[in-house]
Amino acid sequence: MTLFRLECKTHIKTLLIWIIVVAALTVGLVSLFPAMKDMGLDQMKSLPKDMMKAFNLSDLGALTTIKGYFGYEYQYVMIATGIFAAMLGTNALAREEAEGTIGYLYAQPISRISIVGWKMAAHSILYTLYWLISMVVAFFTCVLFKESGASVSGLFKDFVQLSFTGWIMGLTFLAVGFLLSAILSSNKSATSLSLGLVFLTFIFGVVGKMNDDFETLIFFSPVDAALPSSVFKDGIEWKYIVTDLVVIVVSALLSLWIYRRKDLKV
Amino acid sequence: MPVIELNHISKRFGKFLAVNDVSFTVEQGEFFGFIGPNGAGKSTTMNMILNFIKRSGGEIKVLGKNVPEHDLEVKKRIGYVPSDVRFYPQLRVQDLIRYTLDFHHMKGDQAEIARYCDLFQIDVKKKFGNLSLGNKKKIALVCALVHHPELIIMDEPTNGLDPLMHARLFRILKEKQKQGVTIFLSSHNLKEVEDYCSKIAFIRSGKLIGIEDLAQMNKKVKIITLKGAHLPIEQMALIGATCIKKTDGEARFSYEKNLTQLFSTLSNLSETLDDVTVTNRDLEEQFMTMYEHQEGERL
Repeated sequence: MTLFRLECKTHIKTLLIWIIVVAALTVGLVSLFPAMKDMGLDQMKSLPKDMMKAFNLSDLGALTTIKGYFGYEYQYVMIATGIFAAMLGTNALAREEAEGTIGYLYAQPISRISIVGWKMAAHSILYTLYWLISMVVAFFTCVLFKESGASVSGLFKDFVQLSFTGWIMGLTFLAVGFLLSAILSSNKSATSLSLGLVFLTFIFGVVGKMNDDFETLIFFSPVDAALPSSVFKDGIEWKYIVTDLVVIVVSALLSLWIYRRKDLKV
Repeated sequence: MPVIELNHISKRFGKFLAVNDVSFTVEQGEFFGFIGPNGAGKSTTMNMILNFIKRSGGEIKVLGKNVPEHDLEVKKRIGYVPSDVRFYPQLRVQDLIRYTLDFHHMKGDQAEIARYCDLFQIDVKKKFGNLSLGNKKKIALVCALVHHPELIIMDEPTNGLDPLMHARLFRILKEKQKQGVTIFLSSHNLKEVEDYCSKIAFIRSGKLIGIEDLAQMNKKVKIITLKGAHLPIEQMALIGATCIKKTDGEARFSYEKNLTQLFSTLSNLSETLDDVTVTNRDLEEQFMTMYEHQEGERL
């Protein structure tokens, strides 16, 4: 529990910064909706269909509703959220080794498994807090700027589903980041690895959607499984959620196994 | 009762053998020195004792328990001062002390903590990252003491400490030793090892090259320095003095035999010499002899 408190205290500032930036971004993007829905989208109709599909714009008509507009705009926040979660994970263990603070921790009566376990718990809670607050802000902003006639209860139901899929998506990146962190002995490459992890898996999703032969790639794209436009349209796709859960469990177990055997960098 | 028992331990990093078949025992209440040149394997040995790194071979027992099997039990009873103190820079000193106690599930003796802070002139409100090297070392010392450990392991604890703090630290360590606490000290400062340790282990290139009881070791060995144009190397060899160093106009000998014979010989030779000095061998001399001899053998 001591390590849990220490972790939360260490990362609270970063968490607040991310919450404030994402909240401001959400409010800023959604507040443009009333003006955007009245703009003609005819120029966009000339774009190739596959490209529209890749950018989740297949249904242009949906952009005139708050759900459609939010679903499109918020996918970029989802990517940023994935990067935040992956960075939390990749820095969790490797940063302590790079900065040498792990020496203090190892000298305390706490097992390697507890170090990984409490860090995972703390970072999962931090991510959960970030995501919950982001979702609450997004929901109320959408209610504030929605078109007349849009149902608040329908919006609420969709947001509950998005909160769940986005939460699982973040935890997946967090768990894979944690696994990388257990392998690495320095966090120098943590940011680039996090960016690479999120963008690479996002591209998997784009390719999977554009070409039916590569549809399986969507299973390797946590962002795609949690995209607001898909969740609002088709609800929760359990096959992707189950894949994410398997990745989370396997990554967590591998992190524990690797870290137990690891030598402190001396 | 042995507090640290190393049985043929070794550590390999790839092809490099950092520690090679090291065995020694540290008894309860001992002030044990561990010395060796840079890269000799001191820190690697300590890191294995502390289970920071896994050993490649051998057995380690600390406080009667096998490590790493009983790592947690052992860590509750150990205080550790690293040579390079890198604690959480964003935390205040008081938080670091609090967290250390929390990790040990202890409330801590506030009067004792206040005494340490007063003795080491520590400002507990300051952030760790803003402290100087010496002050960081003091925090590590306090954190290693607050949970009343039975064994204190220190890696270069006086690096960065001023002479006053240095003296205060060893006063506290002597107090702890009187209470039965075992102290394991790795240091490059041979003077402090000689002044405070009762037993010393010498390590070089990963191998243990000797363990000496300081109380017995140096008093019986004399170091004789002779200066003059004609140095009596052969006459000294006849009485059993070993020449350990010879330069133009100066020769140093170590001697362990009868003193009457030594002084009688030196008296006979005095007319041909410019200067004669006879001293007890100190640790530095012992260290240099041991390591230069090994270096010579290696070359």
